[in-house]
Amino acid sequence: MRLSKSAIRNNSMRAGFAAATALTALVVFGTGGAAAESVLTMHIEEQSSWVQNFNPFDLAGRRQSTMDFIYEPLVIFNAEDGGKPVFRLATDYKFSGDMKSVTYTLRPGLKWSDGQPLTSADVKYTIDLMLKNPALDTVGVGETIASVEAPSATEVRIDLKAVNSDFPETLADLAVVPEHIWKDVSDPVAFKNEKPVGSGPMTELRRFTPQVYEQCRNPNYWDAASLHVDCLRLPQISGNDQMLAILPEGNMDWIGSFIPQIDKTFVALDPDHNGYWQPPAETVAFQMNFKSGNEGNLEAYKDLNFRHAFSLAMDRASMVDIAGFGYPVVNEHATGLPPRFETWRNKGAEGDKDAFMSFDTEKANKILDGAGYKKGADGFRTTPSGKPIAFPIIVPNGWTDWIDAVQIAVEGLRAAGINASVATPEYEQWRKQIIDGSFEVVMNSRADGATPFRGYYQSLSTAYGGRITGAPSRYSNPNLDALFDQYLKATSEDDHKKIFNDIQLLIADDFPVVPVFNGQGYQFSSKRFTGWVTDKDPVMNPEDHDNNRMRLMHLLRLKPV
Amino acid sequence: MRVSSRRLGVYAVALAFAIVMNFILPRLMPGSPVDAMVAQLGPRATPAAVEAIKARFGAVDQPMLWQFVDYVKGLATLDLGVSVKYYPQTVVQVLGRSTLWTVFLVTTAIIFSLCVGVVLGAISAWRRGGRFDTIVSPLSVIMISVPPVIVALTTLFVFAVSLRWFPVGYAYDPNLDPAFDFTFIGSVFAHAILPVLTLSPFLIGEFQTTMRSSMISVLGEDYVTMARAKGLSHLTVMFGYGARNAMLPVLTNLALMLGAVFGGSIVTEIVFNYPGLGLTLYTASIARDYPVIQGQLLLMTLATLGANFLVDIIYGLVDPRLREAV
Repeated sequence: MRLSKSAIRNNSMRAGFAAATALTALVVFGTGGAAAESVLTMHIEEQSSWVQNFNPFDLAGRRQSTMDFIYEPLVIFNAEDGGKPVFRLATDYKFSGDMKSVTYTLRPGLKWSDGQPLTSADVKYTIDLMLKNPALDTVGVGETIASVEAPSATEVRIDLKAVNSDFPETLADLAVVPEHIWKDVSDPVAFKNEKPVGSGPMTELRRFTPQVYEQCRNPNYWDAASLHVDCLRLPQISGNDQMLAILPEGNMDWIGSFIPQIDKTFVALDPDHNGYWQPPAETVAFQMNFKSGNEGNLEAYKDLNFRHAFSLAMDRASMVDIAGFGYPVVNEHATGLPPRFETWRNKGAEGDKDAFMSFDTEKANKILDGAGYKKGADGFRTTPSGKPIAFPIIVPNGWTDWIDAVQIAVEGLRAAGINASVATPEYEQWRKQIIDGSFEVVMNSRADGATPFRGYYQSLSTAYGGRITGAPSRYSNPNLDALFDQYLKATSEDDHKKIFNDIQLLIADDFPVVPVFNGQGYQFSSKRFTGWVTDKDPVMNPEDHDNNRMRLMHLLRLKPV
Repeated sequence: MRVSSRRLGVYAVALAFAIVMNFILPRLMPGSPVDAMVAQLGPRATPAAVEAIKARFGAVDQPMLWQFVDYVKGLATLDLGVSVKYYPQTVVQVLGRSTLWTVFLVTTAIIFSLCVGVVLGAISAWRRGGRFDTIVSPLSVIMISVPPVIVALTTLFVFAVSLRWFPVGYAYDPNLDPAFDFTFIGSVFAHAILPVLTLSPFLIGEFQTTMRSSMISVLGEDYVTMARAKGLSHLTVMFGYGARNAMLPVLTNLALMLGAVFGGSIVTEIVFNYPGLGLTLYTASIARDYPVIQGQLLLMTLATLGANFLVDIIYGLVDPRLREAV
């Protein structure tokens, strides 16, 4: 899969079933069938066998088509459109005057896929269920919500623990479940929800085998007029290599994979229809452990000169061209602001402040010489106080493009006399080292939200340091924390932008992490469906991974040919 | 049978040893299933949620001794526990759906290779030093030496991806529902051809080599000379007198090679995305899914021991001289 590293490795064929008889030696996906039916074949995740699990609270086990397609969000925020809300189950939300509570208004006449009415009682039930049972808390409501009330059938009032203007964005990850089904579930953690009753466009499971499953149109979908796809078809695919092997069959429509040499291996197969776009998304950066137990390394990490030299040793262009096959975009700003948040950019935090973002090992050496990092007999530098510096940069095993990028970084660092190396633990081990703080340096991405605030807040605030994989560096800066707090309490967009300008300035000056590039993955075939979002009209993030709520809106754009 | 009971004792000791090793080995790997589980939760999981998950799977954090007691208890009741990766499926369910495919794959490969290898070996021995022998015998050595991963990737690329003669994955066409009809069975066979061909070269090479050397020594026996002197046809002498008696070492070899065949099937299944035990073991290892790994290794151990036992019995049937001696 293309490394959508923010989340877990979250990672199409028209098939006529009526006429699936002409099968001989080849995997022939039948064409034809009822003329009216349009089946979209997609790839979201890699598994060695499908397990029928559509429990939205089971982050690890749920099929990645559970959110959005079965459980529709209340409201989604479109990052490609300035973070504007796209209202789905809700038609509106309003903060109270003191910002301590927020009231959502539900769309009238909503129904579950089994025909029962969907009301505010279901929303209240879902949030209460998560509050009662932390193992189900996939959104973090336990930390933000004090209580929830349903004053009327279409109104839900949520009382917050603290003022938090970012709250509606976090609630976009909430899957509202039907109370009339879930109240009879004795153990919601172990519940597999094999026959889901949902609110989204694709709730009906027509077929489920270990090799393929099909999710079809919700007969009671409120927005049925916008939905032109009848079924989603998800063949089981176990890895990137297998994806390469099945692409020549030309049956996939919506893909979220990492395809090396994509022009040759994918586009060339059907140049008229096959396409791809790498919406520049999350910022990938090198993050040092500011709580490292290694004295020499720690002394170096805490020195701004060292961090500047580190950045000057990064050959970002090669990382993008060689390791990423040219798909990602180089990030040349000390703030690390992703390109899609152009409207939030503070020009004052750029220019001179980006002086350390180029690839210049000579300058890196000069800075280190000047700051007292002396080279030893082995050619490697020690800290100004004479302690050795040596660190591995960890990157998960199998994330080939990232491993190559780290390799390029290590070459640059070594040219600057810094004893760096590459280590490739299994993903689980990688994650564990990040969370327990036993790593030295990591190349990592952070999950961005609809506004740039979330990414910065969750990766650099003291509150998040070391608690989630997006915040490994354990950076702690009271000034930055104060700015974050101001932002959360601010209500107007102007105030948010003003405060965020200060945040950018502070980060460009203190340079806590070393940004390198932005990238993600999405491929499509317009043979059977049109409406794909590309760079020509980048109105939304078209990726089908589970961490992109806008994938729902993208599905609604697609029309059969 | 006095003889067999002594033999059974040996099997019992081997089984006990395997059960203990089976418990220890997965625990020597770095990382724990809880780490793996938590890792799958991704960055959105709050510390409270992680704690709740850990509490739920607390059993894997128990002291080793208790884990071992639970493990032995589970074995006795055929309750192998719950998979961590495929939670809430049980290990028996996970293994159940893949065992059949591997057994099918491995059995087909063995039968196919046995037929081909034995005939090639017999002919090579009959005409040793001849043109056939000078081509086939070195070829066998090559086939034994080429790692399955190379054979698998090459056949996948040439026959499935480039020529598209065969499917690139799955055990049968995903559009079909399992049924006892021509379409479905045909699909199963079509999907098994490349994996079987990938597993076979190694086996054919082994069988050919063993058969050839054993046949050569049999052909030197007096009764073969006698048969020839009687004027029997070449074919009768070769297969009725020579090959039949030369088969014994091949059978021994077969039992010894079962482990290697399973090993080869792991690689083959991964490359061809074949839903067998190998693919399951691979994903379970990555997820540190102890219960599945344990169940899987146990199953393979039992299969190997069982096969050896079977060969012991077959020995007795094939060669009456061994009935008393073993």
